[in-house]
Amino acid sequence: MNKGMKYGIGLALVGLIGYNSVYLRPLSEVRAAGALGKFDPARYAETFWTNKLLPTGAERAVELSSLLAQLKTDKNKAFDAHAHALGIGNIRYFLVKGEGVVSTVGETDVTVQLTTGATARLATEYIYSNAARDASGLIQITEFSNTADLNSVAAELNDIIRKRVVPGLRSDAKPGRKIRFVGAVELNRAHLRVGELSVIPIQVF
Amino acid sequence: MIWLLLLLASCTGKTDTDQPKKMAVIVSTLNNPWFVVLAEGAAAEAKRLGYEAKIFDSQNNPALEADHFENAIVSGFGAILLNPTDSEGSIVNVAKAKEAGVPVFCMDREVNASDVATSQILSDNYSGCVAIGEYFVQTMNRRGSYVEILGMVGDNNTWNRSKGFHSVVDRYPGLKMVAQQSGDFDRNKAMDVLESILQAHPDIDAVFCGNDAMALGAYQALVSAGKVQIVKVFGFDGADDVMTSIRDRKIRATGLQSPQTMAKTAAQFADQWLNGKRDFAQRIPVAVELITQANIADYETPDKP
Repeated sequence: MNKGMKYGIGLALVGLIGYNSVYLRPLSEVRAAGALGKFDPARYAETFWTNKLLPTGAERAVELSSLLAQLKTDKNKAFDAHAHALGIGNIRYFLVKGEGVVSTVGETDVTVQLTTGATARLATEYIYSNAARDASGLIQITEFSNTADLNSVAAELNDIIRKRVVPGLRSDAKPGRKIRFVGAVELNRAHLRVGELSVIPIQVF
Repeated sequence: MIWLLLLLASCTGKTDTDQPKKMAVIVSTLNNPWFVVLAEGAAAEAKRLGYEAKIFDSQNNPALEADHFENAIVSGFGAILLNPTDSEGSIVNVAKAKEAGVPVFCMDREVNASDVATSQILSDNYSGCVAIGEYFVQTMNRRGSYVEILGMVGDNNTWNRSKGFHSVVDRYPGLKMVAQQSGDFDRNKAMDVLESILQAHPDIDAVFCGNDAMALGAYQALVSAGKVQIVKVFGFDGADDVMTSIRDRKIRATGLQSPQTMAKTAAQFADQWLNGKRDFAQRIPVAVELITQANIADYETPDKP
């Protein structure tokens, strides 16, 4: 084999190895692939809201009047039976339902006189807590590896409520009008106050 | 080095039933009462569960923390309850313990990794400050100018608190933040920072501080400037001094953390791990309670560890 042929074969081998060693892909494709594994809180919240919370909320919720009575007679039993929270500590959340008559429509809430005589304030302005995320007990803490995702899901659910629930509640709520609702309530197990009960609305009928 | 440690650990008879069961409590500093409560609470719960417990003080020094980890591993401690010195710098120490088969349960401060600690039990700083933000908006009637005094800028808790607060307050265009500066979680630094800001912005309506020590410093600056009746101060922590100030109608609100709950939970999780449980959530938020002048009466007797 002459020198030229050897060099030729050598160059071809180097070229072949070089060609197969380097792959070029568009940056957009790489970014899209990376994004696939990233948690999407808006998508998670939408799926949870549509497929889990709305279809089962009314069935899972405890009657608000019944809950208030239980809290008076046996607070711990009521919390054990109906409260949920992704974290630990005194702040717990209840999924509740009720019906009554709108008594006042305020700037930040709608007050409902329940058929049993108690009152509930359906929030229309201050919708910020983890109540909608935690109250049903359908989301598990083990689904999340970082707290930022957890916080984002709560924020996304609150946004859904602001956009889809509150406008209808504000426009339909008139004093004297009958109303049924499913909502989420935050209560402190160790320092219980039920006098000014604020309900984050989830469904209003 | 780690193999040598592993060898030594295996020679110490960690599983030897003659040896007392031990938990190590490694805390960032004992030069701060809050962390003393955390460390002593963890040790007390470990003892209650039947373990020998030893507290190691890292003195805010990651190198010293690394030494404590090596000691704990070779001395046959079954689990480590950790309050890290540094969210990034402590990762390597936690990883060493994991390699040696010793589970680590973080308390209050997290490490920025999700695959080294067995579980991290953390104050829900974000949600606590969401609650403070909501109360802030209501108290300010959605209008006014305010100052934010941040904690240490390299601390995760600083930004979780700030983000939670702003996730609410920034939705109200009538509320204007005129200055945002770090007070390093320090009372005197916060006082100096606010005194300086008041020179440029004498007409502020409120101050939100990333911890209670800074809230007290800010309040002192407002006393000196004769503005305590005008400017509302909000803190975070639930420190006894600030709880008293809220009761005395000086400071408006704070977020009450529970170091006792974090400490007890960490020790209980470690006990569960040593008894065979393995499925722990990576991060567990511990609720922070909003304390205001309206509900302070509910908290007349502070919880003790």
